[in-house]
Amino acid sequence: MPKSMSVVREAIAGDEADDAMAERAAAVQVAAGRNVLPIVEGVVLVAALLAPLVLQDYLTVFATRVIILALFALSFDLVWGYAGIMSFGQALFFGSAGYGVALLARDLDITNIFLVLPAGTIIGLTFALLLGGFLLLGRHPSSVIFVSLGTLTGSYAADRLARGWYYLGGQNGIPSIAPMTLGGYEFSEGPAFYYLVLGILVVVYLLCRFLVRSQFGLALAGLRENEQRIAFFGYKAQHLKAIIFTIGGAIAGLAGSLYAFHEGFVWPNMVGVVVSTQVVLYVLFGGSGTLIGAVIGAVIVEGVSFWLSDNYRDIWPIILGVLLLLVILFRPLGLISFVLGERERVGSFGAKPNENKKPGKEKRNAAP
Amino acid sequence: MANAFVAAFEILSFGAIIVLIVLGLGIIASMMGIFNFAQGEFVLLGAYITYLTYARGLPIWAGMVAAPFVVGALGFVLEALIIRRFYAAPIVAMLGTYALGLIIRESVRGLIGGFYLTVPEPIGGSIDIGAMHISAWRFTIIVITLLVMGGCYLLLSRTSFGLRVRATLENPSLARASGISTPLIYGATFAFGAALAGLAGALIVPVFSLFADLGLRFLIQGFVAVMVGGVGSFIGPVAGAGVIGTLSAALPWVMAPVVADVLVFVLAIVFIKFRPQGLIAGKGV
Repeated sequence: MPKSMSVVREAIAGDEADDAMAERAAAVQVAAGRNVLPIVEGVVLVAALLAPLVLQDYLTVFATRVIILALFALSFDLVWGYAGIMSFGQALFFGSAGYGVALLARDLDITNIFLVLPAGTIIGLTFALLLGGFLLLGRHPSSVIFVSLGTLTGSYAADRLARGWYYLGGQNGIPSIAPMTLGGYEFSEGPAFYYLVLGILVVVYLLCRFLVRSQFGLALAGLRENEQRIAFFGYKAQHLKAIIFTIGGAIAGLAGSLYAFHEGFVWPNMVGVVVSTQVVLYVLFGGSGTLIGAVIGAVIVEGVSFWLSDNYRDIWPIILGVLLLLVILFRPLGLISFVLGERERVGSFGAKPNENKKPGKEKRNAAP
Repeated sequence: MANAFVAAFEILSFGAIIVLIVLGLGIIASMMGIFNFAQGEFVLLGAYITYLTYARGLPIWAGMVAAPFVVGALGFVLEALIIRRFYAAPIVAMLGTYALGLIIRESVRGLIGGFYLTVPEPIGGSIDIGAMHISAWRFTIIVITLLVMGGCYLLLSRTSFGLRVRATLENPSLARASGISTPLIYGATFAFGAALAGLAGALIVPVFSLFADLGLRFLIQGFVAVMVGGVGSFIGPVAGAGVIGTLSAALPWVMAPVVADVLVFVLAIVFIKFRPQGLIAGKGV
């Protein structure tokens, strides 16, 4: 009897440990059920809205740059986090749009916001359509490696071209771009520019959010998880990829044109490998596959690097490398996965069956 | 005539340098399926070690001999600690090795500052053939490249180690079943690839001088060469490197350097798109 008692006691002790585990798991599940995502998004939005009120002027300028980079990160997250296309050359679209609007402003004196921003978007879209169409479409599906190295090479080649082409300013790029205008109003660095950029980010974010939660977005998430299976379902996987790649390029172009006007100059690094890898860092840190993760990642990486760059300029890239390695090894889903359950990330958002059954929509997305 | 000869020599020597750099990259990519973004930094480390021995007053060739061993040992350790976790996911491996490369590159940048440090050529002077002068050191690089290439080929095709490596590449589970320790083979292969990069760095540092982005400069060219040549064999990447190196050295002689620079990459990507298996398809040596 005593023996069995002790067994029972042990079992109870074990149960307690199990209970704790289960409770934690349940907490995670409840959290997932409660939808942490909107809370996180709301907090970030409120913080972003209030930021210029508490920040000093030069910090507002910095915050504007971060918001633009967050927009850029969003474009990469769509491509990598949702569709699983490793675009190591996202800066190609960012930078070429920047160069494009810089040339518009320099040679044609066009700075009207309603002209330059669409122009930048279209430049990004066109380049992405060309490069993405070439790399992704075709008789044989391209390997992941080929696409990632192809985009990397494209970005590197663009960098070299920008460095060597006198018309584009060579090594120095194009300095002192005229400010963006709206009628007689000039957008100079400061709160007005900040809220403009924030507004654009929110609009684009909502559009992306709508997109990834549609049937199309579910198919994309499926592509990331298992491309072959999605293809067997009858989706044209390559077309889906090319479409999302192009959309990503358009958003990157929008961000690039804002960046060019905000900084007032463009230089070859903007199309090159440096910026391309930077955006990868943002998304990996924040958490790929959640739109908000990309935004948070951009804010954290840029914020910390701004904060450290005064005193620790030399060792900051080393710290960044170590952190990146740790994230890749131990938190492949990024920092956001500390608060967000896997369920919210992958795309179980449909859930309510009667909502998801819209045959017309399904059909349209199935054969784009 | 003399001009054409000098041009041919320049092209050949640059081609040899690219081949030397791609050797390690190609072996790691072909035998392990990993595109090692840290390879450029292994090259950089090899160059840095050579510089260190030179700065300490030791003979330069001592540094050149030491570099492959030190870098190879580092590669072995890194493989065991980090790279090993990435085999299942090639993209994650890219990102992970990129992070590793970032750490190494920025550490070296911190150590040498933003300078361009020169290391003299251990074999200076020039070889005179009639009226033509060619750099003796560049000539030595060509010779060493040929020797290393031949050595690697023999190692992979003729020795029992090479047989094990190829077996592991072809069918890991069968290799394990036959009593080959695949983790050890992977470690050794990665270390070997790293050592070749270290050697490349040590040999080219007198030509290009030492700066933190030395490796980065060649990395993308190396990747493109590997893809053009074809992943999976030893000969493939070497052939690709020969083509890419020759093209990038030869095209600037016939057109504007900027256009030539970009054209090489565009041509290479188009080629890979329509021939994904590369110049030399198939697995093996």
